[in-house]
Order: sequence, then C-alpha cells, then structure tokens
Amino acid sequence: MASVGRAGMETPSEKHAGAERAGAIDRYVTELRHELAFDRVLAERLAKEVEDHLRDAVDADPAGPSIEAEHRAIERFGLARDIADQFAVDSVDRQARRTWLTLLVAVVVNFVAMRLRIMWLDDSAAPALAPLIDRYGFLAALAVSVVGWFAFRRSLLAPTLCLVGLTASIAAGVVRAGLFDQGVPPLVLLAAAGELALLGLLLAEVVGFGRRLCRTASLRGAAP
Amino acid sequence: MLKGHLDAIVLAALEAGPAHGYAIIEAIKTRSSSTFDLPEGTVYPALHRLEQAGLLASTWTTPAGGRRRRIYSLTKAGVAALADRRKAWGRFSHAVDMLLGGGRAWPA
Repeated sequence: MASVGRAGMETPSEKHAGAERAGAIDRYVTELRHELAFDRVLAERLAKEVEDHLRDAVDADPAGPSIEAEHRAIERFGLARDIADQFAVDSVDRQARRTWLTLLVAVVVNFVAMRLRIMWLDDSAAPALAPLIDRYGFLAALAVSVVGWFAFRRSLLAPTLCLVGLTASIAAGVVRAGLFDQGVPPLVLLAAAGELALLGLLLAEVVGFGRRLCRTASLRGAAP
Repeated sequence: MLKGHLDAIVLAALEAGPAHGYAIIEAIKTRSSSTFDLPEGTVYPALHRLEQAGLLASTWTTPAGGRRRRIYSLTKAGVAALADRRKAWGRFSHAVDMLLGGGRAWPA
C-alpha cells in the first residue's frame, strides 16, 4: 500500500508512485495470465498466487516498498514467458493423458455399442456400406490408438485420426441402427447416446490438446 | 544441476510445516545460506507439479488483517517421497564423494 500523508491523505507524488507501483505488478500478472491462456483455471489461480508473492517481496524489500523494489521483485521472479513455459510442458503431459484416457473409454463404448447393434438389429434395411464402415472405422481407430499410444503419445495426429475413425464408425452405426425408426431397443439407443456423448468429450479433449501444443510451440518460438 | 533436485528441495523446505510460495523460497534461501538463489518463479511449477502428483496439498487461507495466500503442506505420500529422495541423494552424494575424493570421503 502506498504510504499515507500526515493528514491521512496521499500527496500527489505518493499517489503517482502508488499508481506506478500497482501498475508494474498488475502488468506482470496480466502478462503471465496471457502466457498461461492455454489453461484458464491454472492462469487464474497462479495470477493470484504470483500477485501475493510479488507484493510480499515488495513489502520485505530492505529499502522499503517503492517502484524500484517492485521492479526488483519482478526481476527476481523471472520472465512470465519462462514461467509459463515450465507450466506448459506439464500441462501438455496432463492433457495428453486425459485425451488418451477419453479415447480408451470411447473405443470401449464404441465396441460395446457395435456388438449390441449386431446382436439386436436387422441389417437388411440398412445401406450396404453401413456395417462395413461401422466395423472398419472402429478397427482403424483401434489400430491408430494402439500405435499412437506406443509411438506418438504426445502427438496430436494419433488422437485426431482416432476421432475421425470413431466418428465414421458411430455415424455408420447410427445409420445402421436406424435410430430414428420405431422399435429400436432402449439398450441400443442408450449405447448410441453414450457413444455420441463420448465423441463430443473426445473432440473437446483433442481441441484442448491442440491448443496446449500450439501454445507450447509458440512459447518456444517454434511452429506447432 | 539444481533443476533435477528442485522437487526434493521444495519437499524438504515444507518439512518444517505448511507455508506459502514466498515463504518456501525464503526457507530455501536461508537453509542453503543463499547458495540456491534461484529465480523465484521457478518454484511455482514445482509446487503445482508436486500437488498434481499428490505429494503436496494446498488451500487458500486469509490470516486476520492479512492477504489471502495459498498454503502448501506435505501429504503422507509427500513425507514418504521426501524420505525416499533423501536416501537416493545420500547414495548419490556418497558415490560422487568417493569418485571426486579418490576413494575417500570428500572433502577429506
């Protein structure tokens, strides 16, 4: 806090110093929040912590609170971009794990739904290609998942290809099931609803993964 | 070299009791006699990483008349992890002492 004059009012020079002081920390925190834009929850949490840290450092400065003390505190803290870079690496790893876990659940649910369609439905009225796309879309997604898990876990390509494969499989499954027809068993409808919900979740995870990868590349000055 | 041991250093700094980020940095500086004067911001990714791994817990607290702060503390897993890292460091530093000291503890 800026010091207060004898009459309890700030002098103009104190007001100016106070505004500048608040400005430097606020600017730094805003910059950090911007650099951490790939994870908004983290950005908000860290911005508050860092602001507290910097104000503590300014208050503890041997020369007392001043604009210079604030700049020293910011300098000791390090560049916002460097801090964000360290968080970005962890964030990409966490998002990769979440994306792959969602992918695994989506593949399992897709498999169960596909088996249910085979068990419960009569394919004779469905377009000839639908069962093939349903099956091979799933198998392609499964193959890409397995290879991607072992070889390209931190790559966006594998989960994206899986997403395409699963989308094709589920779309074909919906056509095959004739979900808009009468008399479709509730279990088949439930499985299809689960597939679609997981597909949406997987899409969100893949987009989040892509954003984090792009941000990490941007922080390091490279193309994603 | 310090970077590889930052997590263990942060765990050790919290051994004395719960603390906020600024106090952790100060503890590291004081206990290392200012040898580890690292950029203060580098401790926050470590704190976050350790919390994600379940080795630390954190909570916001507001002391009377004070600023709101996030306080970190060791979990049971964190205490165990610190003990493991101590043992590993003991073995490592002993081996380096043996090598650099030509078979004797170094410095002699």
